[in-house]
Amino acid sequence: MASGNVLHVLYNDDDVLMKAVKEIRAKKYRITEAYTPFPVHGLDKAMGLPHTRLAICSFIYGLIGLSVATLMMNFIMIEDWPRNIGGKPSFSYLQNMPAFVPIMFELTVFFAAHLMVITFYLRSKIWPFKKAENPDPRTTDDHFLLEVDAAGHDIDSLSKFLYETGASEISLIHNEEHA
Amino acid sequence: MYKFSSKLRLFAIVCMVLGLIGLVFGFLSVPGTVEEANEILAAQEAHHSGGEAHHEDGAAHHEEGAEHHEEANFVDEVKGEPGYSERAMAGDKDMGHAAHEDGEHMEHVLHQMQTKPWSATFIAAFFFMMIALGTLVFYAIQNAAQAGWSPLLFRVMEGITAYLLPGSVIVLLVVIFAGEHFYPWMNHELVAEDEILQGKSGYLNFPFWLIRGIIYVAGWNLYRYFAVKNSRDLDTAEGLQPYKNIFKYSIYFLAFFIVTESTMAWDWFMSMTPHWYSTLFAWYIFASIIVSAVTVIAIVTVSLKAIGQLEFVNDSHLHDLAKFMFGFSVFWTYLWFGQFMLIWYANIPEEVTYFILRIQEYNPIFFGMLILNFVFPILILMNSDFKRVSWFVVIAGIIILVGHYIDIFLLVMPSTVGPYGSFGITELAALLFFLGLFIFTVGMGLSKVSLRPKNNPFLVESEHFHY
Amino acid sequence: MSSHYEAPIREPLILGEKSYHDISVDVGAPILGKANKSWWIVFSIALVAFLWGLGCIVYTVSTGIGVWGLNKTIGWAWDITNFVWWVGIGHAGTLISAVLLLFRQKWRMAINRSAEAMTIFAVVQAGLFPIIHMGRPWLAYWVLPIPNQFGSLWVNFNSPLLWDVFAISTYLSVSLVFWWTGLLPDFAMIRDRTKSPFQQKIYGILSFGWSGRAKDWQRFEEVSLVLAGLATPLVLSVHTIVSFDFATSVVPGWHSTIFPPYFVAGAIFSGFAMVQTLLLVMRKVVSLENYITIVHIEFMNKVILLTGGIVTVAYLTEYFIGWYSGVPYENYTYLSFGAATGPYWWAFWALIICNLIVPLTLWVKKWRRNILWTFIVALVINIGMWFERFDIIVICLSKDRLASSWSMFSPTFVDIGVFVGTIGFFFVLFLLYARTFPVIAQAEVKSILKSSGARYKRIRESGKDLAGTATDKRTSTYAERPASLSVASNAGATHHQSTVNADVLVDTEAKKAEIDMMLARIGTYDPATQTPDDLTKISGVGPVLEQKLHQLGIYTYDQVSKMTKEEYDLLDEIIDAFPGRAERDDWAGQAQKLKN
Repeated sequence: MASGNVLHVLYNDDDVLMKAVKEIRAKKYRITEAYTPFPVHGLDKAMGLPHTRLAICSFIYGLIGLSVATLMMNFIMIEDWPRNIGGKPSFSYLQNMPAFVPIMFELTVFFAAHLMVITFYLRSKIWPFKKAENPDPRTTDDHFLLEVDAAGHDIDSLSKFLYETGASEISLIHNEEHA
Repeated sequence: MYKFSSKLRLFAIVCMVLGLIGLVFGFLSVPGTVEEANEILAAQEAHHSGGEAHHEDGAAHHEEGAEHHEEANFVDEVKGEPGYSERAMAGDKDMGHAAHEDGEHMEHVLHQMQTKPWSATFIAAFFFMMIALGTLVFYAIQNAAQAGWSPLLFRVMEGITAYLLPGSVIVLLVVIFAGEHFYPWMNHELVAEDEILQGKSGYLNFPFWLIRGIIYVAGWNLYRYFAVKNSRDLDTAEGLQPYKNIFKYSIYFLAFFIVTESTMAWDWFMSMTPHWYSTLFAWYIFASIIVSAVTVIAIVTVSLKAIGQLEFVNDSHLHDLAKFMFGFSVFWTYLWFGQFMLIWYANIPEEVTYFILRIQEYNPIFFGMLILNFVFPILILMNSDFKRVSWFVVIAGIIILVGHYIDIFLLVMPSTVGPYGSFGITELAALLFFLGLFIFTVGMGLSKVSLRPKNNPFLVESEHFHY
Repeated sequence: MSSHYEAPIREPLILGEKSYHDISVDVGAPILGKANKSWWIVFSIALVAFLWGLGCIVYTVSTGIGVWGLNKTIGWAWDITNFVWWVGIGHAGTLISAVLLLFRQKWRMAINRSAEAMTIFAVVQAGLFPIIHMGRPWLAYWVLPIPNQFGSLWVNFNSPLLWDVFAISTYLSVSLVFWWTGLLPDFAMIRDRTKSPFQQKIYGILSFGWSGRAKDWQRFEEVSLVLAGLATPLVLSVHTIVSFDFATSVVPGWHSTIFPPYFVAGAIFSGFAMVQTLLLVMRKVVSLENYITIVHIEFMNKVILLTGGIVTVAYLTEYFIGWYSGVPYENYTYLSFGAATGPYWWAFWALIICNLIVPLTLWVKKWRRNILWTFIVALVINIGMWFERFDIIVICLSKDRLASSWSMFSPTFVDIGVFVGTIGFFFVLFLLYARTFPVIAQAEVKSILKSSGARYKRIRESGKDLAGTATDKRTSTYAERPASLSVASNAGATHHQSTVNADVLVDTEAKKAEIDMMLARIGTYDPATQTPDDLTKISGVGPVLEQKLHQLGIYTYDQVSKMTKEEYDLLDEIIDAFPGRAERDDWAGQAQKLKN
């Protein structure tokens, strides 16, 4: 969260927004947050957001799922109670593996998908009964809101510049907790 | 405009000459009589007992390695009778002969040894032909799907398919001249005493089989000819008529291909062991075809870009090709598993012989192929950043190609020469010869026209392609 | 901008002069409005069917599986046919959301939400059958590998039926999560648009407090992509495993290796047929013809053609290899001469005609683009794919290896009742969904609007820059800028600090919504196609008033002519110094004259 004053700058076009983001960052102003109604292609790069590592998480979760499946079936089918099923005695996990592959795969996907989504929800702080934090309801409709850090800048010239980048509305937000 | 460099041309020609010499040597050095075959077997046996205890190939050596025995012969264990799987196998090799007299057996061995250079030739010939064919299919799919990312690569694909004409004609000639070496059902004496083969003679008879082969080759090449012709016309055309033609031809070709690919697989591969059948077989071969083809497209693209020929091709195009390599590798594994698991699970004697032979006699490469074709591509190409690094893609590509060469090897060798398949001078020579021919033809094909197509309605999309 | 470039040869996917705001309005309309009569009629029918099915299920469970038409030879028939049929239908949704996402097919955006909903509802139906067939559904948890009171009595991991348990539950849960994650931004849009506090509350909860931060979107896109990458092989695996049920165990000693990929193709084939069936009706009922266009229908028909072609080749392969194998038993399986001429000839030919012959008509472009014909073909395929599963199970089982046990199957009213009940249940769920969920993934559609919307394609092809074209008069205008910025406090939960344009006149969100409603009634002004009329010609309107009307998005005589008492009252409220004037001067009547 930005400390002190921030400007909420509204745009109503994604191309204008992209151009504006580049101009604002070129002028060394700090964009602390952006709210958009849909994923604007390339916005994360333009804002200089670091890559998300969710895919790597998912890969690791998948490996965990694979291990869980293997250990579980090895314990149940080989160690705890080996049986001779369909003429295929269960004394070796490897030799019976074709029959275990489907569930190894399913659990890999199960873990990779669900744990990744849970990670995503937690990281982005979204869950039931969470209060929405978009400052203007139109940012889920057709407006794009940039939160620009106004601390240490002249508000008037900053807002003039922002209007020049194509902003449609600007408002000054005073964060009380930092005042 | 790409110029086929004289160095590369020389390299291709050298490959062909060396390969040809090796092939001639291979064909000349096969045993002519049962005695010679016996000598070779004896020499191999001596060689084996002389040291490499862990190296097992040949049914006779199973007793040597107890741990191998245990691992490979679970079928025997299950049946509770040692040697069961071997006998089942022998039954398959001998086409249902009950008799196992030594003389007849050795004649069979001799026949298999004489088949080996044919198999070596066919494996290499088909391997390179399927790359061209798969590329053609991929090209047709791109056109039929009106893909926006790939038009910039069309000339590369068209160049690779230049090999289709010589390649497919050679393959057809090889299967025709190999004849009985490959296809036991062509042997009238054998068919006369085999009721099952008599039942199949409505489909498995020489004239019909030959006509089918000619239809496949003609059909594929016709599409190639008209597609490439229209693609070049498009460069200078006023309207979009050539584009519309390609679109239409591509759809017809794909419909033609989906049928002929199946029958081709049955005719040229499955009928090598005419008692054995699997409904998935043809699609399984298709997976090998398409993954090898996409891999070669990627490698050729990277190579051309490396010498500055394809500046207009960007990272994203490579990324997409690599994704297809990844995806089709998984697809291949899926089909491999589907076929293997069901046959393994059911354990029906007529069907399981196929895998018993391969697992017992070709164990390391049978399972090694899975590592090359599945584990490596998955691990190397999983990360999206790696898919944009050209040398990574090339390394993955080479692994995939080796893996799928082994795949074709395993389709053909065990079915034609039983346990006597190996990778020797003849196999290497065949590979070299067709590699040379492939490089030569594709190099010529690529240097014919500008590598940058014009007027394709999706070209601008392809240029802007950024992912 | 080049990032929106799309080849002109591609047909637009969003028709009409849509802006981003239009998409919100159109997608929100069915939820924010009231249900019409036809919805209630269909819903009642579905509910009755569902209740009848429920009765049959209760009867089955309380009496026993014996009330079904099964016999010793044919030990599973309708239940498992219905199971596979529903699972198959459930494949289109994830295919559209996953595979088509990986292939970057933009047309998926308009249909993925409903297709995924269909997937989930269909898989729910599918799951019912094995559970009912257990006979004692309250012991269904025995299929899970949980330590239990019987010592080491574990489930059998070598059994394809157990693989199904894992596959179906993974598929259902992953599809659900995939679907819900995609719904979050759309629920948020409804939450922010609705005026009813109740809906605000509900959709606030459903949306998980989605705010649409750039980082959220980045993660959202990554998650979608990875989920798609996971779901694609998952889709394949699920029907592969379903096919293993039959490929390994329907008739001992018989199997077909082509089953895995062929079942997958068949599942997609039937799933797309069901998507067509549902969407052709839905687009009409909730007026989404501009989003689910004839182009979408044609694309789906092409997928049906492709997968139908694959299925055809698989049938031919099956039939041919059956003959080629030389195994006499193959002549008793479902795709054989024996089946075509045997007692189940009608089921065999139903399969061939519905799945092979009728879909061939879609090769003709005119028929592919004919909505009525598409609907008929889709229904026929639905029937045909039901027969495919019926044939595999019942025909194969009816003549097993012991000729003395050959038998026929005839369903009882309970068999039929349960099946019809699941269809009812399915439609109940889908109809409820259509009333309460954003049926189109509006955020994703917005992201392709500039590349594939008819209006933007036209603007781009005329050589103009797309930047700035998304501005919508109803949500903002470039009127004069305020001299100084307003200062608001961020401590509270209120978010209406901005004070420009319409905001000069309007101070509450509710008012803004009312203006939206008004514009919905009198029509909106589109700067790209229309020119503003000189409103000062209306007596009683001066330059100042005209400017104010402009700020409210009123620019043309046409709009003014549609005004009624309701609009006048609203204007009275918003614009001071206005009381009763418009009504007195009869602006609407004047505008009507000026218009002509």
